[in-house]
Amino acid sequence: MSFATQSWDVKGYWTPYTPSDKVPWSLRRVVHLHRAAGFAATWKEMQGDLAVGPGPSISRLLAGQTRIDNVSEEFEPIADIRLRDARDIADLKAWWFFRIYHGPDPLGERLTLLWHDHFATSNLKVQNVWSMRRQNLIFRKYGRGPFGDLLRAVVHDPALLIWLDAPANRKGAANENLARELMELFTLGIGHYSENDVKEAARALTGWAEERDRFHENADQHDTGEKTILGRTGAWNGDDLVRLLLENPATSRRLAWRLCDWLVGENTVTGEGFNALAAGLRVHDLSVAWAVDTVLRSQVFFAEENLGRRVYGPVEYVAGVARALECFDAPPNSLVLSEWSARLGQDLFYPPNVGGWPGHRFWLSTQAIIGRANYAAALVRGELSPRSVPLDGLSLARRHGRGRDLDDFLVFCAELLTGAPPDDALSKRLRSSLGAKAILDDKTARVAIALMAASPEVQLV
Amino acid sequence: MLSRRAFLRTSLQTSTLVALAPTVPTFLTRTIQAAQPERDGRILVVIQLDGGNDGINTVVPFGDEGYAKHRKVLRLPSERLFKINNEVGLHPEMGGTAKLLESGRLAIVQGVGYPNPSRSHFRSMTIWQSAKVDLPRFKEDIVVEEDKAVYGWIGQALDEGRRPADGSPSAVFVGDGTPPLAFRSHRCTTSTMTRPEDSVLTLPEEAPLDSSQSKSGTDLAAFVRRSTLDAYVTSARMSDVLHVKDAGVTYPATGLAGRLRVVARLIKGGVATRVFYTAQGSYDTHHVQLTIHADLLAELSGALKAFVDDLAAAKLADRVMVLCFSEFGRRVQENGSHGTDHGTAGPIFLAGTKVKAGLLGEAPKLLDLQDGDLRMTTDFRRVYASVLRDWLGLPSRSALGGDFEPISLFQV
Repeated sequence: MSFATQSWDVKGYWTPYTPSDKVPWSLRRVVHLHRAAGFAATWKEMQGDLAVGPGPSISRLLAGQTRIDNVSEEFEPIADIRLRDARDIADLKAWWFFRIYHGPDPLGERLTLLWHDHFATSNLKVQNVWSMRRQNLIFRKYGRGPFGDLLRAVVHDPALLIWLDAPANRKGAANENLARELMELFTLGIGHYSENDVKEAARALTGWAEERDRFHENADQHDTGEKTILGRTGAWNGDDLVRLLLENPATSRRLAWRLCDWLVGENTVTGEGFNALAAGLRVHDLSVAWAVDTVLRSQVFFAEENLGRRVYGPVEYVAGVARALECFDAPPNSLVLSEWSARLGQDLFYPPNVGGWPGHRFWLSTQAIIGRANYAAALVRGELSPRSVPLDGLSLARRHGRGRDLDDFLVFCAELLTGAPPDDALSKRLRSSLGAKAILDDKTARVAIALMAASPEVQLV
Repeated sequence: MLSRRAFLRTSLQTSTLVALAPTVPTFLTRTIQAAQPERDGRILVVIQLDGGNDGINTVVPFGDEGYAKHRKVLRLPSERLFKINNEVGLHPEMGGTAKLLESGRLAIVQGVGYPNPSRSHFRSMTIWQSAKVDLPRFKEDIVVEEDKAVYGWIGQALDEGRRPADGSPSAVFVGDGTPPLAFRSHRCTTSTMTRPEDSVLTLPEEAPLDSSQSKSGTDLAAFVRRSTLDAYVTSARMSDVLHVKDAGVTYPATGLAGRLRVVARLIKGGVATRVFYTAQGSYDTHHVQLTIHADLLAELSGALKAFVDDLAAAKLADRVMVLCFSEFGRRVQENGSHGTDHGTAGPIFLAGTKVKAGLLGEAPKLLDLQDGDLRMTTDFRRVYASVLRDWLGLPSRSALGGDFEPISLFQV
């Protein structure tokens, strides 16, 4: 195999994936793709991807054309009305879940969620639906990059400025909150700046404020003196600071880490991989879309040992399980989905602090594990929809030519949710939970689906 | 309501959960051997003040000239403080805490910190929770929380003790959100909950769940299986404590009080968990601190008093000690927006009937600063060492990554 090596990736770490006998384009990898970069997919969507191969499947996902089921021309107008009419934060959460569940662009929604986590701003302090909404629209507009455009938009966003006390940061009376988090969390990462850099950056940011919910630069409050930030001296202002941070290689490296951590999971990509991706980001103007494209198409992303290395997040779990099960005729109420997500540890618009959700293994607290099982139970009983129609799992399987008998049904459930038939241990567990005398009927089908959705296997992507 | 014995018997006989999970019977077997709750076991309750509590305006050094010099807008008038001596007093909203002090149930260790303090919330909290100050630099930009090599001081210490005999988790975090890094360890089982009611499995009709039997897979897969199993076992255990009532004490209607009330219910319900952990936000008072901070301390103080009184009424006070800390104090000099920025050392509170009541350790001097920050006078690991050795009876060396001379916190 020979690929022209890229200047940013001389060692070929991010070489594209090509299916082979050893690493086949299998249902397992199709499920991996959709659960990693979207909110799971339906059986039909996945079979389509299986037929066309990784290239076109990934292109469709990147282009927001991956969904086939439950696609409606009326989606955008309805979503817009829901957004326009959002009066309180619950409406806004419901609007977002409506987009996640019914919208055409799961990757775009995942990116929006990523940036909400990265620039974690909580309505607990902002207390303004309009501001939270506008910040969310920034994440949508600039979510695919370049990262510089996103960063510049976010640091001028009133919600973020209020959240990090920017208006209180004035000449001669610095407030370091924004300066510190800008360096530690949004760009460089800890260890790449000094305490003095924080102090000087805070001076550069003096005068940035919000007034009547708009960005406002208060010239009287700006400290016009010289500052030395990251070894460079000048009469820097806030925009200069952002430029210095964007030019610093630590930012591209942290962005590379962020995206790999988000798409692939813990302890997968090595330092060499981050360095190469960071170098690529630098020659591509820190384009998020480019990096996502590169990672998704890579052999790293599809390597056997990198499957199942990330804990499924609450929003992903709540939306993904319901979508895979094709709950479209009596779809779950969007507000109810957002409430379940909150119960499982991810309350949209209320990240726990500026560091975002700790995620990963931290998602699986005792209460969240119990909550996931209880969510699966509520879902199959039809409790998420105002119409209370229990899930018809049997019809679902039979629609796709499956569910001849109980064994075949269990294999179908496992394939739908994990991409692989259950291993011996899992099938034994399922059989034994259902009871020795179980036959395939509506009720058994429902319980089997809930058990499968709650199983440890489904919690990993 | 089932008795504990009856509960365990029923679990063993009828629960699909137990029938399914091969790892359960072994430890439930142990349970049967020692189904007596550990009535005399000592319990540690940790309250984490998130965001960096302004220790200077909590245990106020009104007698230090530096206080008036550095604190103008934020200076608390000395006549309103609960004076501990001629130098130091508690914040005016800390009446409940002052009562604990008067009745010999509160110790305050002053100036607690660690060398080369970090002013990052995340890093400093990681240091306090791992008890490792020399964490490797954040390699590959993986934040330390993700680093498998970093374990928590509580989890590691509990690894060296016996597991609770009744199947309860060794450590329980009460609150929304995620369990603390302090719990992370190789073996000990931990659990999170907001209320016991929320930790009860309402799941599929009559079919309970289990954890996987497969041994295959990554460390992460094993973690998920183990956590799932622990969660289901805990869930069964929690149904046992749903009936527990307050012992004639009214808890304030605040978040922290609600969480401590849950802790009290679990302790009174006989759960053999050794460490409970909860947190109170948002001490990151960069901006108009005075009223925000007063409200936070009022919540803390009221909740702490109610909790200690509740346990005293239930005759359990001698078994429980509370430790209250924050990741750092605030800068001595107030900032330009009537708040304070991130600083260094601060006070630790210890509440319980066995503590050596009063002020312990040396108070930092507000006129002898290092880069505008307090110099710490007691390393927090010395406090931990004492809590582990003298209170929980656990070795501290591996938990703290070295030997630290315990400071004398308890009555002999």
